[in-house]
Amino acid sequence: MDLHILEHRLKVTSIAKQGLFVFTHPLIKLIFLRSRTRCKFLSLTETPEDFTLVLDEEGFKELPCSEYLQVEDSMWLALNVVSNGHASSSSQAVGVTKIAKSVIAPLAEQHVSVFMLSTYQTDFILVREKDLSVVIDTLQEEFNIYREVGGECVPVPSQDVHNGFQKNGKEATKATVHPVLSPLNKFCVMSLDPDTLPTIATTLIDVLFYSSSCKDASHSSQDLDCVKFFSFSLIDGYISLVMDTEAQRQFPADLLFTSSSGELWRMVRIGGQPLGFDECGIVAQISQPLANSDISAYYISTFSFDHALVITTGRQQHSWV
Amino acid sequence: CSLGYGGSKPDILWSPHHVDRYVICDSELSLYRIESLGSTEAKAGVIQLSEETAATLLAINSDTPYMKCVAWYPKHEPECLLAVGQANGRVVLTSLGQSHNSKCKELMGKEFVPKHARQCNTLSWNPADSNWLAAGLDKHRADFSVLIWDISSKYAPEATVPPEKIRLPSGDADVGTVVTKPLYELGQNDACLSLCWLPRDQKLLLAGMHRNLAIFDLRNTSQKMFVNTKAIQGVTVDPFFHDRVASFFEGQVAIWDLRKFEKPVLTLSEQPKPLTKVAWCPTRAGLLATLTRDSNVVRLYDMQHAPTPIGDETEPTIIERSVQPCESFISSFAWHPSAQNRMVVVSPNRAMTDFTVFERISLAWSSTSSLMWACGRHLYDCAEERTGSEAAVESDIATKMRARAQSRYGHDTVQVWRNYVLAGGDDPQLKSLWYTLHYILPFQCPYLTLDQEQKQQGNKQTVVYSGIKNIVKSSSGTTESRRSWSDSDRQGDVVRYHSEERSLALRLCGWIGRGPDVDVEPFLRSLEQEGEWERAAAVALFNLDIRRAIQILNKGASSEKGDLNLNVVAMALSGHTDEKSSLWREMCSSLRLQLRSPYLRASFAFLTSEPGAYDGVLYESRVAVRDRVAFACMFLSDTQLSRYIDKLTNEMKEAGNLEGILLTGLTKDGVDLMESYVDRTGDVQTASFCMLKGSPGEVVKDPRVQCWIENYRNLLDAWRFWHKRAEFDIHRSKLDPSSKPLAQVFVSCNFCGKSISYSCSAMPHQGRSFSQYGVSGSPTKSKVTSCPGCRKPLPRCALCLMNMGTPVSSCPGTGKSDEKVDLSKDKKLAQFNNWFTWCHNCRHGGHAGHMLSWFRDHTECPVSACTCKCMQLDTTGNLVPSDTT
Repeated sequence: MDLHILEHRLKVTSIAKQGLFVFTHPLIKLIFLRSRTRCKFLSLTETPEDFTLVLDEEGFKELPCSEYLQVEDSMWLALNVVSNGHASSSSQAVGVTKIAKSVIAPLAEQHVSVFMLSTYQTDFILVREKDLSVVIDTLQEEFNIYREVGGECVPVPSQDVHNGFQKNGKEATKATVHPVLSPLNKFCVMSLDPDTLPTIATTLIDVLFYSSSCKDASHSSQDLDCVKFFSFSLIDGYISLVMDTEAQRQFPADLLFTSSSGELWRMVRIGGQPLGFDECGIVAQISQPLANSDISAYYISTFSFDHALVITTGRQQHSWV
Repeated sequence: CSLGYGGSKPDILWSPHHVDRYVICDSELSLYRIESLGSTEAKAGVIQLSEETAATLLAINSDTPYMKCVAWYPKHEPECLLAVGQANGRVVLTSLGQSHNSKCKELMGKEFVPKHARQCNTLSWNPADSNWLAAGLDKHRADFSVLIWDISSKYAPEATVPPEKIRLPSGDADVGTVVTKPLYELGQNDACLSLCWLPRDQKLLLAGMHRNLAIFDLRNTSQKMFVNTKAIQGVTVDPFFHDRVASFFEGQVAIWDLRKFEKPVLTLSEQPKPLTKVAWCPTRAGLLATLTRDSNVVRLYDMQHAPTPIGDETEPTIIERSVQPCESFISSFAWHPSAQNRMVVVSPNRAMTDFTVFERISLAWSSTSSLMWACGRHLYDCAEERTGSEAAVESDIATKMRARAQSRYGHDTVQVWRNYVLAGGDDPQLKSLWYTLHYILPFQCPYLTLDQEQKQQGNKQTVVYSGIKNIVKSSSGTTESRRSWSDSDRQGDVVRYHSEERSLALRLCGWIGRGPDVDVEPFLRSLEQEGEWERAAAVALFNLDIRRAIQILNKGASSEKGDLNLNVVAMALSGHTDEKSSLWREMCSSLRLQLRSPYLRASFAFLTSEPGAYDGVLYESRVAVRDRVAFACMFLSDTQLSRYIDKLTNEMKEAGNLEGILLTGLTKDGVDLMESYVDRTGDVQTASFCMLKGSPGEVVKDPRVQCWIENYRNLLDAWRFWHKRAEFDIHRSKLDPSSKPLAQVFVSCNFCGKSISYSCSAMPHQGRSFSQYGVSGSPTKSKVTSCPGCRKPLPRCALCLMNMGTPVSSCPGTGKSDEKVDLSKDKKLAQFNNWFTWCHNCRHGGHAGHMLSWFRDHTECPVSACTCKCMQLDTTGNLVPSDTT
C-alpha cells in the first residue's frame, strides 16, 4: 500500500454561527467561483455548534479577520492511502475501517493527533505538519510513502534508525471514553458533477446559509432526536456532500450522485464536551471495533466533535455503540 | 474521447467501418455522411467541408443527456451503435438512424449502472471481443473506477434497487435493460481518466488512472503493471507499433514503450495551452496529431524515423510541424480510418472542415544526377532521359562531366586538342579551348621544339602564356603592306599589317603553322577535310585568295552531303569587283544578311566593306573568335587592334566564353573568364584541367583554381571514381609538383621505433647499409620481413601468420624533374596485396589482400577473441569504386 502526503497545506477553522454573515462572500467565492481562487481544498461542515471550515492556505487568504473566526494554530497536511491495485481482497470494508489498523492505531500509539475527513471519493487523514516526521517514521514500515511535489509523486526516503525512542513529546494519556450521541436522522453521502454546480447553487446556498431560520420553526419538536449536520467539500475539483434526507429532498434528484442502492447512513457524534485537538486515539477508539467487525465507516472530524457514519442495515451500529 | 460535452465543445468520431460517416457529439449526437461535392451539388442542406467534399446530416439523437464520452461499436454490424458515458457514470447504448438489425434493437437503450454514481470519463470497446465495453469513472472511496461491461448480459441479477431510484433519463426504461453487475471491476479507490485496450492481448487494458498509468491483465485481476506519472490522459496505442503508447498531461505528450514501461521513452515539447486530443494517424505509421485548447492548428509529430528505443540514451528524432485546416479554433478532429492522412475537424460553432495533411516531401539527389523523392506512399524517381535525340534537352553538366571523366577527358597531354574529342566533340567552346591550349602549350614546354626566335627571347614564353591580348599589346614595329587580290594584277587597296607578334597571334589562332612558314594552305586543307567549307572559303578570302575560295566552295558543293548552294555563292563571289558603286556591291551588301552561314556573311561583308572598316566581320558573333582575331590581326591597325581585342576580351570574360581563353591565355584574366564560365556552367572539370596547364606560380595558386580542383576531386570521390581521382591527382602533381601530398603514415618498428621504410626515404644512410653486414644478393628483397633499422622481425599477419613486410624499391622516385616518368609496374613499391593494413580501433591487421578477403565473408576481426567489427568502422569500407576497369 502507498501513503501519499498531499501538497495541500491546511488550516482548520471554526466560524461561529452568529458570525456567518461575515464569511458568506468568501465562501460563495470559494464554492461557486472556482476560477477566481487558487483554493484547491475546501471542506465546510455545519453542525449545531458551528461551521467547521478546513481549507488550504490559498483559500485561507480569502477569509477576513473576525472575532467569529477561530483558527487552530497548526498547519495540517493531508494523507491519503492508495491501494494501488494491491487491494486487500479479504476485506470489503473501506474508509476509516480499512486504515484503522494500518494508520489510525499506530499513529494513536505515537500520540499523533489526527483529524479525519471522509469524502465521496476518498478518506483524508489530516496530521499536523510538525508531526510529519513521526508519521513517516511510524508508517514507513507499512507503506511506501510518497510526497506529492508539483503534482508528481516523489518517494520519501525511509528515515534512518533514529536516535533513541522518538516520541511526540506528549504525555501518554489514558484513553478517555467519550459520550456518544446517535441522532435519528439518516444521512446520504453524495457527489455532484462540478459542471452542474451552478444548477444547484440556489439550493446549496439556501441549505448552507439559511438553514437555521426555517429549520427552527418546523423541526423544533425533533431537536432532541435529530442533529443538524451538513457537509460540503470541494477538493481537487471533486465535490462531496453529506446531508440528511430532509436536506436531500430540496435538491433536484437527477443531479446528485449516490450509490445505486440508495444507501442511507446513521451518524454517531463522539464527545460531550469539545474534544480539542490534542487528544489522541479517539478515531482509533472508534475505528478499532469497526475494523474488528469489518464495518465500513465514514468519518468527519469537526472543530469540536468527531462524527462517524455507518450504513443503516439495522443491527450493526448498535453493536459497537 | 474523454471530453465532457458541455454543449460548446463538439467532438467528432469517425465510423470505424463506414468510411463516409461520422458523428459530431456535443449536447446531442448528429450523424453525417460525407460525399464528394459533385454528387450532392444540387441538394439542399448540404454543408460544404472542402473544395471537393460536402456533408449531409442524416440523423440526430438527443435521447442521452449529460454525455461525457462516446465510443462507436467496433464491428461492422450494427452499424451506428454508440456507447454513451454519462455524467453520473451510466453507460447507455444508443443508435443513430434507423437500423433494422435485430441485434441493434435488442441492445438499444441498454444501460450499465455503476454501484456509486460519478462521472464516466472514458469508454473503450474491446477490439477483439466486441461485447466487452470498458468504462473509466471518477474516484469513489469504496468503488472501482474501471468497469468492464458485457453488453450481451441479459439480466441484472443484483438490481434489487427499487425502480424509482434508478432515475432513468427517458423514463420509459425497462428494468430488464439495466445491467448493474460488471464483468470485471478494477482500480478500487482510484480514478480512471482514459482507457484503451492493448492489441497485444484481448485481456490487456491500459488505463490512465489518478497519477499513474496502469496495465490491467484480466487473466489475473489482482496484478497490474503501473508507472507513476502525471501524463494519464488520452492513452492511445500506435496502430502501427503496438508497444508504443501516447498519453498527455496539460500541455505535454509522453510517448511510452510498453516493453520499457518505467518512464516515457520521450516527451514532446510542451505546449503553452492544455492539450485536448492526441491521436495516432491510422493510415500513416508514426504520425501523431495533437490539439490544444483554443487553437486553430493541429500539431503533428512525425516519429517515422525514430529508431526502436534500445537504450536510455537514444533520443529519437521527431519532425514537428503544424497544419491549419481552417481559420477558426478547432474543437476536435478525427482521422479518417482509411483515406490517407485525411481528417475532419470541427470548430466550436460546429463548422466542419475536411482536410488532408499533405505529406512532407523528402528528396534525395544522387551523385549521378538522378533525383528521387518520396511523398506519402509514392516514391518518384526522376532520371535523366538518355534518348540522345536532337530535341532532348541538353544533359546536365554533372552527367557530362561524369561521361567525360570516364573517357579520360583532360588526360591527353600529347595531342591536347584531342581532349575536345574526349569531351564528346560537340561543344564549340571546348573545341576552341583545347585547340587554343594545343597551340599555346608547345611554347611553354622547354624541351619541345621551338622557333629559334622563341628560344632567343626568353620572355616570349610568358607572353604566349598570357594570350593574344598581351601579345598584341607588346607589339612593336608593325609594318603595313598594300595587298591586292591574288588574281588581280592591280595594286590592291587592302592594307595588311605585319609584325612578329601578329604572326605569333596568327599561329596561336591556328591559321598558320609553326616555323617561318606563313602559308595558310595547310590550315585551309584541314578545314576542307573537316567539311567546314564556308569557313575555309572565308579564310581563303581573308587571305585575299578569291580563286582559292571559289575552288573551296565548288569542292564543298560537290562533296558528299554537300550543299549545292555553295556553287551559287561561288558564282556570286566570282562577280567580285572593286568598283565602289557597282550593282554587285550594292546587292551583296544588302543580301548578305540573308545568308545563313556566318562565314559567308562575313565574307561578303569583307568584300563589300570600305578599307579599314570591317565591323561586318569583326562583330559577326557567330564567327569563331579565333578567326575574327586572326582577321583583326591582319587588317586592323595597332590602335584599332588593341581596342578591338580589349573589347572582345571583356565580352568573352563577361559571357564566360571559353573561346576567349585565346585572348586571355592562362593568366589571371583567364581565371576571371573561367570563373564566369564555371558560374554559368558549373563545369569544374574543364576549369581544373585547363588551369592546371597554366603557370603554377600565378594561376594554379589562385584560390579559385584550387577550389575548382578540390571540387572536381570531391565530385570524382562522390561518383566513387576513385581510380579516376587518383589518376587526376597524379596528373595534377606532374603539372603542379607542390600539390603532391607528403607521406602521412609511417610504419614504425615495434622494437626500435624507426620507420621501417626509412631506407627508401630521402634521408641518406640512416643506419648502415645491408652490404656492410655482408649480406649478399639483394638484401632489400630477402629481408623485407624485418626492420631495416634493428633487423628484428616485423609483426605477423593475423591471417597467414607470416611476418609482414613489403619489398622496397632501391631506387625511390625522388628525382626532381622526372615527374613525367611513368611508374611502371615493376617500379611500384609493392603489390597492394602485400601492404600493411591495420584497424585503428583494435590495432590488429595483416596483409591488405588477406584482410580484404577475410572481411568479404566476416564482420569481426580475424584475431581470435577480438570482437572488433573493423570493416564496419570504416564507412567507406563496404563501397566499391564504380570506375573499376
